[in-house]
Amino acid sequence: MNTDLIILLCVIPLAAGVLNVFLINQRAASRCVSIASFVAVLALSMYFLLYTAPLTGADSVLVSQMGGWKAPFGITMVFDSLSGLLIAAAATVALGSYIHSFSTLDPAVERRYYHPLMQMLLFGVNMSFLTGDLFNLFVAFEVMLMSSYSLLVIGTGMKQMRQAYKYVLLNVLASTIFLMAAGMVYGMFGTLNIADLARIVAEIEADPARSLPTGFTALAVMFLLVFGLKGAFFPLWFWLPDTYYTIPIAVAGLFGGLLTKVGVYTVARLFPLIFASDGAGGISLTIQVILVVAAAFTMFLAVLGAVSQHEVRRILSIHVISQVGYMVFGIAVMSGNALAGCAFYMIQHMVVKCALFLCCGVMEKHAGTDDLDKLGGLLKRDWKLGVLFFIAAMSLVGLPPLSGFFGKMVIIRSGFGEGYWYLGVVGLVTGALTLLSMLKIWSYGYCNPTPKDGYPVQTEPKAVIAGNRPAYFGIAMLVLAALFLGFGAEPVYTVAFKAGEQLENPKAYITAVLGDEAYATAESLAAEHAEIQVDSVQGSPATTDVRTDERAGSPVLAEVATHAPAEVSP
Amino acid sequence: MTMVLAICVAVTFGVSIYLMLGRELKGIAMGVFLLGHAANLSIIAMSGSPILHTHGAEASRAPATLEPISEHLDEQRHPLMTGVNIKQPPVLEHHEPMTDPLATIVDPLPQALILTAIVISFGVMAFLLTLLVVTSRRTHTLAIAELAQEPAPEPDGGPAQA
Repeated sequence: MNTDLIILLCVIPLAAGVLNVFLINQRAASRCVSIASFVAVLALSMYFLLYTAPLTGADSVLVSQMGGWKAPFGITMVFDSLSGLLIAAAATVALGSYIHSFSTLDPAVERRYYHPLMQMLLFGVNMSFLTGDLFNLFVAFEVMLMSSYSLLVIGTGMKQMRQAYKYVLLNVLASTIFLMAAGMVYGMFGTLNIADLARIVAEIEADPARSLPTGFTALAVMFLLVFGLKGAFFPLWFWLPDTYYTIPIAVAGLFGGLLTKVGVYTVARLFPLIFASDGAGGISLTIQVILVVAAAFTMFLAVLGAVSQHEVRRILSIHVISQVGYMVFGIAVMSGNALAGCAFYMIQHMVVKCALFLCCGVMEKHAGTDDLDKLGGLLKRDWKLGVLFFIAAMSLVGLPPLSGFFGKMVIIRSGFGEGYWYLGVVGLVTGALTLLSMLKIWSYGYCNPTPKDGYPVQTEPKAVIAGNRPAYFGIAMLVLAALFLGFGAEPVYTVAFKAGEQLENPKAYITAVLGDEAYATAESLAAEHAEIQVDSVQGSPATTDVRTDERAGSPVLAEVATHAPAEVSP
Repeated sequence: MTMVLAICVAVTFGVSIYLMLGRELKGIAMGVFLLGHAANLSIIAMSGSPILHTHGAEASRAPATLEPISEHLDEQRHPLMTGVNIKQPPVLEHHEPMTDPLATIVDPLPQALILTAIVISFGVMAFLLTLLVVTSRRTHTLAIAELAQEPAPEPDGGPAQA
């Protein structure tokens, strides 16, 4: 297969987005184009996943070099198991919430470039999952953020606008830090290619004579700050509940499902490969402590917040944060199994959380409010919605045959196995509290009797159900996907374990991007030092050049560089 | 040169943070403007020689690191990349003669990064200013204190507490 085809995962939403700009006043046409694009992305990513599933090693990573430029110089797109899983889940979530929006989004709002913005958001998200280059990641983030800013203020309600400032300013700040950190990476390593960085780090780790550049850990912390803000980790989560509270519910579902995962994904991609290294084959203590603390507090404090809230939207938004904690837990443990659990948990959470938000949208259609005090009796009014909500809620909690269970089980088990028992305990307690808050929505909203003086907005149950068919369809689709993740956990996990393996052991990724010889230096170094201390330049004609650099203006004018030309390869 | 750049970056950052801490949305927008400039300047400052290159003797083993052409031309490398000298910041000293253009060509990547970043911050800026215009048309004010106490009860406050 031509591996350059993976770029279609970005090109299709981009093309559909541009096309939708011209179809702005033709609702039916732009809906068709958008659905076709989402379905195409989903089908393609599934196809690539199935294609790579039986392959191993470097073959299982599909690489496309843009414009034929060799890896460290051009822009690289990389499709491995982790990106594949996430793109498939992203397309599912986008499709579900998009279909849902047919019945819940105000037509006037819909005309304000809603359709193109959805496509551009998916384009940005897919590109950040695929890219193999730090600076391109920055660009992808910006594409994603610009679309999310615009979707955030779509319809320009005053409440929305006020929260939008917070979100926009924080993200601009984070992007600036990201930009500077990327510049610093280039200043330190002379490359921005993720595989190339991983190779350099692996070589330094294999060679006890070398150490990582000064400031490497500070750089890692800067990246953690940026991605932590996007992913809503422990001290950086404050923007999330307010923001998701105000926007149209279909968009909230999409944001809740997708956006935080992009931040988590970048941490899962960059940290085990590059930034968690301490230069000697281990994990840097600073990074580890930050991740462990972030995981514990994100899980536990956020779920407390969710328990204390009394509006469905707020409960769900704060739950997004709490669930992110489990993913950070998986990353903090950083073993192959834990990362596999993290990957599985990410995709199941995208699907389930989006389904819950969409259920909340229909509840609002029924009652005109999402305040649990004014709700009740929804099970009698609309048992179908009740069943859908219950399955999604229990998947989130992680009741055994459902998807959340398999995610949490692998993460918590590997936590206990690797000596992070305290995180495991926090995870279990958080699970119990999640159950509590979900049962709160269930009992107040669905099982309690209908309030005596009715809902704030009086509606006819039949009319609501008949008027919101697309919404039910969208939710049902996502719930089915969640059920598939639960009952079909084994095939999904074979892919997820491969993703974890690829993250833990960078060899496949590096050789796929840079070619077969790229990893050889690190391996031979490791082998040399594993045997005995052998002179590392032995056997190859070493050249020494002494260079004077007057322009740099630094006190150290002369530098000595020894190299073995045999090992210098493009 | 590095010192001048460092001072410029520091001052620009300082001014932008000062502006962003203000109580007026226009000032905050200006702060965001300047923040982008500060980041771009800092990339120029950082884009001299990679630290790794000067860090240890084995560093130049790295296949991807670009060597100055005067040392050895490597035919294996991409033909377009052989003439690139990564060892100097992309700013020429004023007295420097351009006798050998190939030797003074600098690494173009930082400029490419900055150009992209400028374009992106331009877009963000346009969005932010549009948001400001819409807000001021709606509320006839841009002061955060007044915006925060708009009628609708806000349990967590407006952007003032962000």
